[in-house]
Amino acid sequence: MSPVEIHQKLRDVFRDVFDDPLLEITDSTTAADVEDWDSLTHINLIVAAEKTYAVSFTTKEVKALSNVGDFIRLIASRAK
Amino acid sequence: MLKNDRTELSYAELVRKARQQAPGRRQKFKVALLADVSTQHLAPLLRVLFASNGVDVEIYEAGYDTVELEAFDPASGLYAFEPHLVCIFQSLWKLKSLYYVFVGDRTKFSEVQAAKTEAVWKAIQSRTQAQVMQSTFVLPYERPFGNYGSRVEDTLMGAVTELNRTLSLKARALSSVFMSDIDYLAAWVGRRHFLDEKLWALSKSLCALEFLPDVAQNVVDIALATYGRGVKCVVLDLDNTIWGGVVGDDGFDGIGLGDLDDGDAFRFFQSYLLELSRRGVVLAVCSKNDEAIARRVFKEHPGMVLREEHIAVFVANWLDKATNIRHIREELNIGYDTMVFLDDNPFERNLVRQLIPEIIVPELPEDPALYVRTISELNLFETASHSSLDGQRNVLYEDQEKRDIDKSRFASLDDYLASLETTAVFSRFEPRNLSRIAQLIQRSNQFNLTTRRYSEAECVELMNDAHHFYPFSITVHDRFGKFGLINVVVLRKTPEALEIDTFLMSCRVLQRGIEQYAMNKIFDYARLCGYKRVNGRYIPTAKNMMVAGFFEKFGFDRADADEGDAGTTWHLTVADYEPREVPIRELKLPQGADHGESTQ
Repeated sequence: MSPVEIHQKLRDVFRDVFDDPLLEITDSTTAADVEDWDSLTHINLIVAAEKTYAVSFTTKEVKALSNVGDFIRLIASRAK
Repeated sequence: MLKNDRTELSYAELVRKARQQAPGRRQKFKVALLADVSTQHLAPLLRVLFASNGVDVEIYEAGYDTVELEAFDPASGLYAFEPHLVCIFQSLWKLKSLYYVFVGDRTKFSEVQAAKTEAVWKAIQSRTQAQVMQSTFVLPYERPFGNYGSRVEDTLMGAVTELNRTLSLKARALSSVFMSDIDYLAAWVGRRHFLDEKLWALSKSLCALEFLPDVAQNVVDIALATYGRGVKCVVLDLDNTIWGGVVGDDGFDGIGLGDLDDGDAFRFFQSYLLELSRRGVVLAVCSKNDEAIARRVFKEHPGMVLREEHIAVFVANWLDKATNIRHIREELNIGYDTMVFLDDNPFERNLVRQLIPEIIVPELPEDPALYVRTISELNLFETASHSSLDGQRNVLYEDQEKRDIDKSRFASLDDYLASLETTAVFSRFEPRNLSRIAQLIQRSNQFNLTTRRYSEAECVELMNDAHHFYPFSITVHDRFGKFGLINVVVLRKTPEALEIDTFLMSCRVLQRGIEQYAMNKIFDYARLCGYKRVNGRYIPTAKNMMVAGFFEKFGFDRADADEGDAGTTWHLTVADYEPREVPIRELKLPQGADHGESTQ
């Protein structure tokens, strides 16, 4: 899967989790940029992404995520 | 009840519905959640599921891990809420850590825990008409004795089984206490796959054929154990196996233990290994390391569960691991087929498998949080005897009176707080704590007065600039274990006054007197420096409403002007501050602890 494909799919995951059909994300998007992105929705995001890409992240990886770019790189390193 | 099928419980679907849910107008059914697990994900699901059954529900979520505090404090939010139903969720996660640090006779553990929970029920019953719903504990997967554990009295599995049973019996005697059998739900996930009604009808099969190999392997495991073919020794790698990171590179202060990185996962893994050691499995170390550096972690690191005394043979050098394992085998004089080698590194695992084919070398998963699960799945530690069993029999006949732990012991909140034996370590910022401090500064939202997000580099500056700043942190333990570093305060020294630049706390330790203890420290320091006044600031955010009244509680006066986004300023004359009584014992740092190797 190319980074562009991952990005598009991830955007849909975000739109779904935040229930906002117009939400856009970039590599530098962080929790501070999205309203409602708190520790609760963060876990929902991780779980939804794991399901969407059929991957599993380690605890350490999840803790180290700081922006969308990190997230995409992590998914790329895991997805077949 | 579900009306049609399990799709009614789709998590994603329920979360979506929770967002769209309009508040109802009927009279509300009031449900309070008291839990030692987080309830934020659960509450919205409850709202939707109640609504779909035609019930408008109002939910009170008590702070994380405040079950006893809410129940024993007549002025708590729980009682102000006037609930119809109080749901108490207590988890295996928490129970495990209590069990592993339980001092004294472990056969009494379930009795002690059940008495504590019963005291909570009775406190609630004495102050409300509410129904109480108590969860059961999910049985653990780790079995240091394998199937033989059912014959041993002091195992975690036995303690949890006993606790569930005792709670159910106690609940029977009380008409308003209902058990919510969470362990049944967990077991159901297994049973729905394991049991096969069709195969039973067709061929009287015990279970789905897919799982019959497990049944057969279990027979083999038990049979071999009775013939003395059990595992006698576990050989452990160190770096990234029993702690996170590489001690030679990351330094004594930089390895993942305690609050750092995966520290929690490694603590559980080490606790499991210690259980194996208690049950008679010999632990050995085989690590590519400088021996003195590796041993120092065992000797001095506060996050270690395993200590040198638990390790029968300690080999740390730069020879290949097969050679070192041969040496360990000679020392112990046992067969390779009774040894298990645990190493996170696939290269080392394969090397040892190739050179010593008889030794057992399990694959380990990448995430250390899954080590115990993975090893448990292999049932490596089946046994057929336990030497200290005879000694334990006596315990059964011990005076029953002694078992009757004073059940009404926690009648008042003060008694309860005192019983926790909370200890605190106060310390100015120091290198080994900076990562955790920076992490807490980044993550704390609720108990955070100014929400200033200092990075780790900025924390280094705060630490070094003694002329302008006095930054400190507080690390807390109680008799059940470690909370770790949970409070951070940055004081700014200005010519006019001592300013509280930052004051934040982890929400895990609310209502324990920690903030009072910290405030005492602030005024001690102000007095020491000769300040007349301490200034504070509260900057409101969407998430820190819980501390809006913080300064007022300590007797600060609010300055007239509201500065909008900059918040409100507060001041208090040093002479007017009355030090608070706190149920906390202060621990002095051990000598030399300030001078640990820095990772900076």
